[in-house]
Amino acid sequence: MSYTLSEIRRDNPRECSQLHDLLHSQGIALDSNLDYTCGLFDEDWNLVATGSTFGATLRCFAVSKDHQGEGLLNEIVSHLMEYEMNQGRVHLFVYTKTSSAKFFGDLGFFPIAQVDGTLSFLENRPRGFAQFCQQLAQYRRPGTAAAVVMNANPFTLGHQFLVEQAASQFDTVHLFVLEEDASLVPFAVRWQLVQEGVAHLPNVICHKSGPYLISSATFPSYFLKDETTVIETHAKLDLALFGTIAQTLGISARVVGEEPSSVVTGLYNQVMAQKLPELGIQCLVLPRCTQHGQVVSASTVRSLIHQGRVEEICPLVPQSTYAYFTSPDAAPVIAAIQNSSQVVHY
Amino acid sequence: MEILKPAMAGTLESSDAQVTVEPGTQGIQLTLSSSVMNQYGRQIRATILETLERLEVKNANVTVVDKGALDCTLKARVECAVFRSADCSQQNIPWGGVIV
Repeated sequence: MSYTLSEIRRDNPRECSQLHDLLHSQGIALDSNLDYTCGLFDEDWNLVATGSTFGATLRCFAVSKDHQGEGLLNEIVSHLMEYEMNQGRVHLFVYTKTSSAKFFGDLGFFPIAQVDGTLSFLENRPRGFAQFCQQLAQYRRPGTAAAVVMNANPFTLGHQFLVEQAASQFDTVHLFVLEEDASLVPFAVRWQLVQEGVAHLPNVICHKSGPYLISSATFPSYFLKDETTVIETHAKLDLALFGTIAQTLGISARVVGEEPSSVVTGLYNQVMAQKLPELGIQCLVLPRCTQHGQVVSASTVRSLIHQGRVEEICPLVPQSTYAYFTSPDAAPVIAAIQNSSQVVHY
Repeated sequence: MEILKPAMAGTLESSDAQVTVEPGTQGIQLTLSSSVMNQYGRQIRATILETLERLEVKNANVTVVDKGALDCTLKARVECAVFRSADCSQQNIPWGGVIV
């Protein structure tokens, strides 16, 4: 039988309903955030196999029960890899059920983490994650160590307070800044403001998070709205990877701020409080730093900038961040925040 | 030939091979996986390295996922990936030759 490979578009109801049925029959839900979906159709234009991409991840794979063993997955994966290549993405990841992970092993993907024995996460480099950890290992220091992970969008007094608290309690603090450029403040600026904001703390080491910590690969729902169960699964996967990183650096605690407003960060904190102790890592939740009875949050800072009240962020951010936002360099970033309809993290 | 950007050629279907080349600095770093590794692994490796040598590729990270491709297929896929990465796959493709 010959099959035709075709893109499945959201505006084609017949193909979309076939897509839902096929995924459902394999016990898979269609992710709400996808960039591209393709399918193989038989001569009567029935969908027999499908796969999708989001960012650098390949996901939502299914092959119809009647057509398994025909090598259809290979054709889908080849096509998706070519698609990703054309988008300039070489380093790819796969989300799949652990029971199907072995098929991806045959296609040049290597497992890096597992969640609850059901979800597997793979990448197309044999030693990608191992090399990432190896490079981090040179920053391991004797004594106690804690980790802080932040997006710092942008860096506020709240972030600074959190890092200062961690730095006073531990010999070394490993500070990871999210490298994903999905936030209103671009990574280069966030990175610079974090470094300036912790310059007075000699025992803080800044790291770029790479694709392995809260990235669009491990934790897509951090950046794009999704359902609670999806967020929880992503959070668990993210922590599985964090466990390995923590081991590499001798990290015994992760320091996080209380989350009063954001749904996704709140859930992430809940999952951390439950999962980290299982990995032998302490989860320290610190109360948020306040200014005039109001908690300092980057969402508030973005809201103020959005409303054109840039001067009013002064009491909420360190001098270095304020200096940046009042400099001419910040014009494009301020424009981006002012033109955005969604400035508060969901 | 110098590898300027990542490029890919081939598929993961049976009797084919998927070749990815990326810029590198430490000589040829080859990652090979094959469905017939136990039978033909050495021969496959030799074919890939020979083709790269003929194309005078000195530094590259090369990933090959082989699905039982014949030598001629492997050669063609490696050549194509290298040509694409060196931006000379648009016209006058020097199949079987070397570009200086």
